[in-house]
Amino acid sequence: MAILTATGIQKNFGGVVALKNANLSCEKGKITGLLGTNGSGKSTLSKIITGVFSKDAGTIVYDGKEVEYRNPHEAKMNGISMVFQNLSLIPDLNVWQNIIFGVEDKKGIFLDNAKAIALSHEILDDLMPGIDVNQKVCNLNPGEQQITEIAKAIAVNPKILILDEPTAALEKEEVENLFRYMHKLAGKGVAMIFTSHRLWEVMEICDNVVVFRNGVNVGEMDFEKDKRDVDAIVRMITGEAAGVHVTKEYHPLSEDTMLEVSGLNYGKYLRDIGFTVKKGEVLGIGGLAGQGQNELMLALAGNYPEADGDVNIAGTKIKPNRPGNAVQNGMLFVPGDRQREGIFANNSIYYNMIFPKLGLRKQPFFTPTKKYRKEAEEICDALSVRMRNIDQELYSLSGGNQQKIVVGKWLSFDINVLLLDDPAKGVDVAAKRDLYSFIMKMVKEKDMSVILYASDNDELISYCDRLLIMYEGKIVSELKGNEIHDDSIVACSMCVNSGEGSVDEQQAE
Amino acid sequence: MNSKRNKALKSLTGRSEASTLLILIIMIIIVACLQKGFFKWSTMDGYLNAFFPLIILAMGQGIVIIAGGLDMSCGTAMAMVLCVMTKIMNPNVSSSGVTALLVGLGVALLTGIVNGIVVGYLRLPPVIATYATSYVWLGIALFVTPTPGGQMTSWFKGFYDLRKIGFNASSKQVMPTALIWLLIACIIWAVVRRTKTGRYIYAVGSHNDNSYASGINTAKIQLRAYLLNSIFIYIVAVFNAAQNGSGSAHMGDTLTLQVIAAAIVGGIAMTGGKGNVYAAIAGALIMSFVSKIIYFAGITSAYQTLVSGLIIIAAIASSILYSVRQKKALLKGVSE
Repeated sequence: MAILTATGIQKNFGGVVALKNANLSCEKGKITGLLGTNGSGKSTLSKIITGVFSKDAGTIVYDGKEVEYRNPHEAKMNGISMVFQNLSLIPDLNVWQNIIFGVEDKKGIFLDNAKAIALSHEILDDLMPGIDVNQKVCNLNPGEQQITEIAKAIAVNPKILILDEPTAALEKEEVENLFRYMHKLAGKGVAMIFTSHRLWEVMEICDNVVVFRNGVNVGEMDFEKDKRDVDAIVRMITGEAAGVHVTKEYHPLSEDTMLEVSGLNYGKYLRDIGFTVKKGEVLGIGGLAGQGQNELMLALAGNYPEADGDVNIAGTKIKPNRPGNAVQNGMLFVPGDRQREGIFANNSIYYNMIFPKLGLRKQPFFTPTKKYRKEAEEICDALSVRMRNIDQELYSLSGGNQQKIVVGKWLSFDINVLLLDDPAKGVDVAAKRDLYSFIMKMVKEKDMSVILYASDNDELISYCDRLLIMYEGKIVSELKGNEIHDDSIVACSMCVNSGEGSVDEQQAE
Repeated sequence: MNSKRNKALKSLTGRSEASTLLILIIMIIIVACLQKGFFKWSTMDGYLNAFFPLIILAMGQGIVIIAGGLDMSCGTAMAMVLCVMTKIMNPNVSSSGVTALLVGLGVALLTGIVNGIVVGYLRLPPVIATYATSYVWLGIALFVTPTPGGQMTSWFKGFYDLRKIGFNASSKQVMPTALIWLLIACIIWAVVRRTKTGRYIYAVGSHNDNSYASGINTAKIQLRAYLLNSIFIYIVAVFNAAQNGSGSAHMGDTLTLQVIAAAIVGGIAMTGGKGNVYAAIAGALIMSFVSKIIYFAGITSAYQTLVSGLIIIAAIASSILYSVRQKKALLKGVSE
């Protein structure tokens, strides 16, 4: 008897279809796993159930009634509790205050702290024995914060518990404790929905799995009846006829090494990264989202003073701890989050285009306006930016055109290495093509190298000469030329093949 | 045993309040050395009366800052309430004092409501929004009392000094009246801190979005913080009215920035969510003692402003260095 049934859920974000026709049902005391690649819609579905997003079509029946929650708090009050990937904790409150946050019990007019502390101990003694409940959350490490977030979701005695990538920040022992607790909750009749990028975890904990691809659920497997067959699930995730394979020659590149990185470390996000890039090569960085790709780009660009390692650009050794080091040696970074990092929205296109130049050495005292305006216009033409003129304010352009400016403003420079962090995020197909064809033209003309991270595998497949797959802060595999296709990327990303990282973990199971 | 003591020591020195307390103790020692008879009741009483407005306003300001706001209008709001009360009171009509108290409370709460709505519900930046309202209060105060003046009923004096109304009049060892007010202020916060509102004031200041996502009405909490602040403003206005028997619209002009500085020196973080309201008392005392030390040391008062500026910079720098160190320690812990 299903406690929650979602049928025919649809969701569009702007023009992008996130869910086409998603169906899901979960039962009391059962753990249902959601599987799929990035952007397959599994996270979106969870968020629709808990009211983070509203659905465009479809019905959700919970406990015999059709429901539609306006926000996660309302869902929580009705017994559907979700553990979020980006935590919802209050940094300056301590652990037990966070666990009961928003649902505090009162004794008279005062808060009943003794009861809250007792409840926190009751949950955490199983989940993470030894954690200090009086510690402020901002002083905890990411794993402890994640456990606190899980405890917060459990504290309200939910009927349905949704865990969205809860294990990403956890160590092995913590994962085991969590799984033991999930079994205990299942014994009490709590229904659970579990997503994880670690396939072996899903295989171990779940009673049944539902696989999503491109916003549709493409298959399910009930482990009570079916065998736990990893290969079959991978086939479901990637799709049997996995797209058209782009046949590409791994054309020989110049022998000159442009960039050499070795021993790059940054906290737990980057672990001993080392690779080389040849002149004129487009090196892709792939893998599931949040495996350290962003951090790698930011670290190379010098955004983390604490990062440690050796970087050698065209023969010059630099330390990756100041943006100036990278820029002066021709390694330029195009940020992915353009709203926050890349643009001055209230200034003109021209201003945005010349801004990075003004920080260069050997600038003339008076800015050569005519020359720069001409350059700016040429780049806008080449990228076919849709605009009235270059004095138009940037916010008045569409997202795709803004993104063209963000990338384009660097292109009049002498570039050795261009770091592209998801340059085509939120850009429509035509703009994407313009952007990439311009970049590829630049690569040929200027003999520069590109390091490209894209959340969309198609972009990596189409444009990369070589692809590194990252998993939990490490480079786990390298694909060359026509080895790069959908299947191989997904398989390597999930460490199904004999990648390094999780193999020992898999065997340990 | 040893580790337990280490832990206790660490929790004491690890707090940003510890440095505030240390500075305060050093200052008290210096003043006590420079001034004979510092520990006499009459001296203490005098200091307390002089420092009182800054102490109470800094507590109220502290609550607002913890809730993620700022009140640039507390000085002029206090002056406005003061002007309204002294305008209403008539020495010949004893009951006019009661009217003044009630109207004053209403006006004070109104300032809190307006600031709370502007910052909490309309989401205007607190610095600019309350800077603007400060001119509204000043304008009203000037309208009510164009030139300094006003009157007071005789029993009203009791709010400044209980002896004036015959309470324990003969004894010299009477408890300073300001201390009773301070106690009331502390009790108000002690009660609020233990309620949901108190917990949520910290939460909203610490992370507004996550508080909202957890079902907290963040605008309402910020409004309540400003309301609490307005009660503290009211206390100071009543005390000042009783002390002077008259009001001036410009009385609070220089006070506001001192109040904010006192709260920050007391270790309350401008970013919100962090700090101890009682530590604002220590911050206000430090700010006040600075001028005393310079006075007793025989340095010209011209340096007073300079030194108090340097002390504020030092206090802010120490709290920022503290948070940077914490962040580094956290990253280190992660990589291990």
